[in-house]
Amino acid sequence: MSGLFTTVREVFRYQGREGQVAWMGHRAAALGTVLFFMIHIIDTSFVYFWPEGYQHAIALYRSPLFAVGEMVLIPAVIYHAINGTRIWLMDWKPGLWKYQRQITLATFALTVLLCAPVMIIMGGHFIEGLGLFGGQ
Amino acid sequence: MKVTLRIRRFNPEHDARPYWAEYIIKDVAPTDRVLDLLHHVKWYIDGTLALRRSCAHGICGSDAMRINNLNQLACKALVKDLVKGDHGTIQVEPILGLRVIKDLIVDMEPFFEHYRSVMPFFVNDNPPPDGEFLQTPEQRARFDDTTKCILCAACTTSCPSFWANGTYVGPAAIVQAHRFIFDSRDTAAQERLAVLSQEDGVWRCRTIFNCTTACPRDIEVTKAIAEVKNAINRGGVD
Ligand code: SF4
Ligand code: FES
Repeated sequence: MSGLFTTVREVFRYQGREGQVAWMGHRAAALGTVLFFMIHIIDTSFVYFWPEGYQHAIALYRSPLFAVGEMVLIPAVIYHAINGTRIWLMDWKPGLWKYQRQITLATFALTVLLCAPVMIIMGGHFIEGLGLFGGQ
Repeated sequence: MKVTLRIRRFNPEHDARPYWAEYIIKDVAPTDRVLDLLHHVKWYIDGTLALRRSCAHGICGSDAMRINNLNQLACKALVKDLVKGDHGTIQVEPILGLRVIKDLIVDMEPFFEHYRSVMPFFVNDNPPPDGEFLQTPEQRARFDDTTKCILCAACTTSCPSFWANGTYVGPAAIVQAHRFIFDSRDTAAQERLAVLSQEDGVWRCRTIFNCTTACPRDIEVTKAIAEVKNAINRGGVD
């Protein structure tokens, strides 16, 4: 057993292929999403415990930092869902292992494809919000 | 050609922590194996280098190590597949997830403990019908792939799930269990499935496929694990 620190370091060193990259992405997406929800649950609880704080939190959500955070959240959720389906498929149909490389690459491609429209719309709002190009 | 061999060395009696030692080896043939380079270091440069090897022909499974960040057998890894051009570096370190005893030698005992936990032996107490147990070629083919395992541990120590948690039984033990679970003559499949359905059994496999890439016997390791997962879900092999 090597512990968490070694494992995190070594997944960046060991030359695993698509499967390892997919797994790292899966974990990162899950942790990111959980973090986001934790923050959200805590600030929503402010409505009850600390109303002024809630107003402050809502204002924070409109800041560019959180806008970027939300733009990361969407791909994280989409990727986690698609990749989770891939893992279920590979476990359910072991014979597919021969195509595991292609299926993993397809997972990445599908994530990009599904994220693109969301990113374009959210990115547009984000740039507008920054007030560049004469926006409000 | 010339090769700089970087070896992760550690002698717990002298060293506070592991370090990289470099050895320059001249007149290397592209068809030399990494094991030949390690022999050269041990025999002509520094006799204190510690490594395990026996057959030197990919059969005994004793020289799995991490070569250029990929688990391989030193006796099967050819220099020409690792170095392009006239001069290059090859990096060798012990497999990860097992305690280093010295240099490239790790403590294999936890690995063999997992191996023993899956009952890796034939079980059938019934008297053989007509002198022997018969099996069709199809029944034999069902587990042919997993009979090839040489217990080198390249798969288990390539698995991030095992790095993070050494209590995970690991791909090699599952491969060994698969060999008997899917053998039509064996009668202990349910007992093995019971062991492998526990917390540290097959469900710690995250379908990462590092084991399949690492296996020097080209065993379809992740596929075998998935077959065992399915057998557990269905409650048996049929
Ligand atoms: S399955 Fe392959 S990599 Fe794993 S122990 Fe057996 S021979 Fe080695
Ligand atoms: S020395 Fe026996 S497998 Fe390499």
